[in-house]
Amino acid sequence: MNWLKLISTLSLALLIVPVVLLLYEGFGPLRDPIGYSYEVVRAVELTLLSSAIAAALSVTIFTPLAYYLARNKNSLGEALSDIPASIPHPIIGVAILVIVSPLTPFGRFLLSIGINFFNTFLGLITALTIVSAPIYINSMHPFFQSMNIAHENYALGLGASKFRTFMSVVVPNSGRGVLTASLIAMSRAMSEFGSISIVAYYVLQQPFYGVNPAPVLIFQYYTYYGLGPAVTASAVMIVVSIAMMAILRIVKR
Amino acid sequence: MIEAKVEKKLGTFYLNANVSDEHFICLTGRNGSGKTTLLNLIGGTMIPDAGYITLNSRKITNLPIERRQVSVITPDSCIPHLEVDNHLIWAAKFKHLGVEDDYVTEVKTSLGINFSGKVRKLSLGMRERVALASSLISRPELILVDEALSNIDNHTDFISAFKNLAAKARIDVIFTTQYVEDSSQADHHYRLESGKSTRLF
Repeated sequence: MNWLKLISTLSLALLIVPVVLLLYEGFGPLRDPIGYSYEVVRAVELTLLSSAIAAALSVTIFTPLAYYLARNKNSLGEALSDIPASIPHPIIGVAILVIVSPLTPFGRFLLSIGINFFNTFLGLITALTIVSAPIYINSMHPFFQSMNIAHENYALGLGASKFRTFMSVVVPNSGRGVLTASLIAMSRAMSEFGSISIVAYYVLQQPFYGVNPAPVLIFQYYTYYGLGPAVTASAVMIVVSIAMMAILRIVKR
Repeated sequence: MIEAKVEKKLGTFYLNANVSDEHFICLTGRNGSGKTTLLNLIGGTMIPDAGYITLNSRKITNLPIERRQVSVITPDSCIPHLEVDNHLIWAAKFKHLGVEDDYVTEVKTSLGINFSGKVRKLSLGMRERVALASSLISRPELILVDEALSNIDNHTDFISAFKNLAAKARIDVIFTTQYVEDSSQADHHYRLESGKSTRLF
């Protein structure tokens, strides 16, 4: 008897059974048309688009930080970059609202030029970027560490600055790592509930006026209609997430 | 003119080396004798515990790599995504050196670069030819070659051609090799044994 294989199979089943059960119930006995209504489709669209933008922002803003942390021992920097992922996410939502509220000079300035984060697409992607960025940074960290530093040292020796070396040597050779890490970050953003339920319970801007992000909508269905519509909408979201995972697997090959 | 009098402790290994010469310098020694450590100290990927390094009377001991004017070439040195021709002039371009096409052609011909394509797809020997040529064209004051000449076909002729080009560009070179006979082409020869350097000529 291969005990290790048996224990591994059982522990894997622990992770998979709830998902399979939800798919079975969502598209089977508990199937409810509300769960795959136009409202759900719009919520999935909003979630996919906002998560993709958040992942793109993570790539743009946080790739230099991930590279810096990989090439320089900086325990404080690593710990600080993990904070948004390690605190309860509703706190992130509250923090965003406080920062951009009239309570702070920054918030007053933003409001004076018409930038509002509460129940806007901007607020939604800001929250998603903050909660998924640590996942992106932590995924890029080992990738950068595994890159051959001889290429960078060669470029530096030729007289390239550290920034030029990063932009002209590191970035062009990081495509696969960036793509994989950004898909992981996007998956994380798609599953976010805590912060966005405070910052952007729904979006009050076109083209998503009145649309809830999918995790919020599922919670709303559960509280308004009960289990059936929530389980069906969850099953739809699981199918979308599995498609994302499949893309990730293909990219990782 | 490179002058390095450096000490470095790495675990139980202790390097105490002294190199003071110019032109084409050969460094030999067994594995673990300290050749790579010495080149790392001169190139700037390591900082010595004690001592100093000067290059053409300019103190570079603690300068960052990019400000030393020292190009280090190992078998892995290259910028993998570039095409050969772009790789050759990559540094010369951002340094605004105004390198003439004739010179690039001369370097390519002398070093046997008669191929093209992305550098990452080249063989080890071809990559090393490109890395060495790119260094020459970028005109540093010193080129350090760590075992990167040994993998090149017909490497005796290659060393001779490389030496001529370096001399013409007034670039000093320190190269390590596993073939002691390569030292016959050098202007100076140092041997490292257990971290201690000896000047043979």
